[in-house]
Amino acid sequence: MSKFLKVLSLGVSLAALPVLAGAAQAGDPDKGAKVFKKCAACHAVGENAKNKVGPQLNEVFGRTAGALDGYKYSKAMIKAGEEGLVWDDATMTTYLEKPKAMIKGTKMAFAGLRKQEDLENVIAYLATFSSAAPAAEDAQSAAEPETAEAEVETAAANATAPAPAPVSAMREGGVLGLGRVATEDEVAAWDIDIRPDGEGLPAGSGTVADGEGLYSENCAVCHGDFGEGVGRWPVLAGGQDTLTEERPEKTIGSYWPYLSTVYDYVRRAMPYGNARSLSDDDIYAITAYLLYLNDIVEDEDFELSNENFAEIHLPNEDNFIADDRAEEPHYADKSEPCMSDCKDSPVEITMRSRILDVTPGSVDDDDAAGMGGVD
Amino acid sequence: MSDKTVSQSPNLSRRALLKAGLATGVAAGAVGAARADGDPLITEIQDWNRYLGEGVQSRPYGTPSEFEAHVVRRDVEWLTASTESSVNFTPLHELDGIITPNGLCFERHHGGIAEINPADHRLMINGLVDTPLVFTMEDLKRFPRENRVYFLECAANSGMEWRGSQLNGCQYTHGMIHSVMYTGVPLKLILEEAGIKTNAKWIMPEGADASAMTRSIPMEKALDDCLVAFKMNGEALRPEQGYPLRLVVPGWEGNMWIKWLRRIEVGDEPWHQREETSKYTDLLESGKARRFTWVMDAKSVVTNPSPQAPVTHGKGPLVISGVAWSGNGRITRVDVSIDGGRNWKTARLDGPSLPKAMHRFYLDIDWDGSDLLLQSRAMDENGYFQPTKNELRAARGENSIYHNNGIQTWHVKADGTVENVEVS
Ligand code: HEC
Ligand code: HEC
Repeated sequence: MSKFLKVLSLGVSLAALPVLAGAAQAGDPDKGAKVFKKCAACHAVGENAKNKVGPQLNEVFGRTAGALDGYKYSKAMIKAGEEGLVWDDATMTTYLEKPKAMIKGTKMAFAGLRKQEDLENVIAYLATFSSAAPAAEDAQSAAEPETAEAEVETAAANATAPAPAPVSAMREGGVLGLGRVATEDEVAAWDIDIRPDGEGLPAGSGTVADGEGLYSENCAVCHGDFGEGVGRWPVLAGGQDTLTEERPEKTIGSYWPYLSTVYDYVRRAMPYGNARSLSDDDIYAITAYLLYLNDIVEDEDFELSNENFAEIHLPNEDNFIADDRAEEPHYADKSEPCMSDCKDSPVEITMRSRILDVTPGSVDDDDAAGMGGVD
Repeated sequence: MSDKTVSQSPNLSRRALLKAGLATGVAAGAVGAARADGDPLITEIQDWNRYLGEGVQSRPYGTPSEFEAHVVRRDVEWLTASTESSVNFTPLHELDGIITPNGLCFERHHGGIAEINPADHRLMINGLVDTPLVFTMEDLKRFPRENRVYFLECAANSGMEWRGSQLNGCQYTHGMIHSVMYTGVPLKLILEEAGIKTNAKWIMPEGADASAMTRSIPMEKALDDCLVAFKMNGEALRPEQGYPLRLVVPGWEGNMWIKWLRRIEVGDEPWHQREETSKYTDLLESGKARRFTWVMDAKSVVTNPSPQAPVTHGKGPLVISGVAWSGNGRITRVDVSIDGGRNWKTARLDGPSLPKAMHRFYLDIDWDGSDLLLQSRAMDENGYFQPTKNELRAARGENSIYHNNGIQTWHVKADGTVENVEVS
């Protein structure tokens, strides 16, 4: 007797309980469609179904495990197929109950379906996309539910399972079973960050010359033709050797430690007010142009790409240090502070805000510009 | 109410203006003082005492009295090129206690206020986790929650004062802070739900706004006391504070408290994003710059009297009040000086004392009407004392922008007006 039939008979033996009696019937494809929502983050089925995180599941019944062309299975799944595993109702029930218990090393990150009825229903649903029948004929003939029981089941299901169903049971790691699995496309859409070691860089390239045109079209209105900044918009270039001066000019060339930050930031946030509107190649070109404006590259034909990106270092990289505030003298002093006669002579006023007064309402805007920023 | 206050309140109705003018006129020179024929505010029947006021539901979402219309956030227009990437300031001199009302919490945006329908909001956890997950707001509200009061201070608070006193008012010098009660889910629970890998050392929260704000945060902090919050002071976050979801990073610089939180990536190294390289790094006199200076050290300021809140009552009993906070825990003591730091008295802390929350202090004095040089000096539970501005300058120079927690001095003059000064 196949495992699937064993499951059936187990259900029947519990037939005294009306709710479970429904579960003893072979699956209901409509209910299975709901269960499949737990799979849909990773699997597609139906017309034009493509491989996602997992393989598409059209014609899965009768298919050798791990054998769909164009999908990259785990070694474990391929091996199981080579050893003769073919998907039918029995094998799929076992797999979906506890994927890792059946195929150690499968990369399907799914804890398993706990409820027998869910298993049967989802298999019935998948069967509607396969020409090969999933189960033996006798199982199908058993699939005539008694109306009364079916109603009881539906009522019970409605009472206990509010829609949309939580996605517990569908993955590893979960403690509460909240949330759902993020699809690869979703992660790719949002995860665009880049690290100094180049991790996260998209494939692509762009030259200084291309960047010049893109920059004057998209950036120069605010940041100026040479990155000098128009009005109070940020300055992007110049300021080399000003960091120890009274008014340091912190730019990509004078201050920023890593080029990855330029690519990452321009791609996520610029042009201001129209973020994410430039292509990856455009950003390479603009980044190359910003290097050029900062005299870090000198050749207009220079092409920046994901290949040579990590080779480029910004001049100020080595001047960043860890937070060592605790070394400052006033941190060390933990003694009781002075409470009386703490200064030798009466205190003098050394500076008044009146002199510099830049409080709103008391200042001429143009004088105030450049007094320093909030950053 | 002074005339100045009235003229600053554009929202006052004509009727209210007339009344206010009348009232000040009648009581001129002797507000609240007894007169031979009695105070007409007492001896005459007032409108509000005779005619019915507005009924319930006339203000379904309550608003402050029209006489409080001057109590608003204010910005410094010339500071930034556009209001979408700018800051305004909490009116600290108008507030008391330890909680900032939601509508007065200062704002700092980098790409304007994102307006997000909570039904359309998602939180993704990805990177070095067992399972990348997506949560809806509904999912998040099924996790166990906590309620915690924390201050949030922008690292650039008082940043304008490094080179000397510039702005006349604690709203401007110290107003990039607020303190509210958050309701949210411990970040730890959300990370555990996805299952963090053993090599996971950092997280990077990201906002859904037009700046897609990002910061790197060490895993130790993420698992310690961070919250993913959806309520402030009992009601939904305000849009300008990240509605529907923000990160709470207690005691650490405000920029890290990502608003409109939509994603948390888990990784093994920091990302060195723009807000932790170009910005929020502290340039020292040597030309070196400190990075990852996350903690907001103990700090305090006298909020009353202060330049925007002069003494209007003359000599006699004077309540000196202010706020203190520390990113390293509780405030255990605040000392106040009225002579520019020569002599100090320990002030009275009042109200709840909660770690990494704002504390309220008072010193009740009998003012003799002479000039005062008011200062306050906070101490936290680790025995750390707030330094003077000159101690900070000696250690760092004047170009750090961030983390200016130096002692503030207000000069209270005999006429009761107050000025921002520095002293020897
Ligand atoms: C988190 C993503 C994920 C979820 C959720 C998921 N799967 Fe999978 N599934 C996979 C991956 C990945 C594989 C490939 C496994 C391998 O190569 O080891 C797979 C393989 C399979 C296979 C084998 C297909 C073949 O071609 O050999 C079947 C059948 C299957 N899944 C069914 C389901 C069903 C039914 C559900 C829902 C109840 C489900 N899966 C949920 C990721 C997932
Ligand atoms: C409408 C004006 C505007 C345009 C157009 C614009 N920017 Fe910006 N840019 C800004 C503002 C405002 C900021 C600061 C944003 C903030 O507060 O975080 C900024 C910041 C930057 C920074 C970071 C500066 C620093 O010192 O941290 C870079 C780099 C940058 N922009 C590059 C670009 C590039 C490249 C383009 C064109 C693709 C562009 N910008 C287009 C307004 C603009």
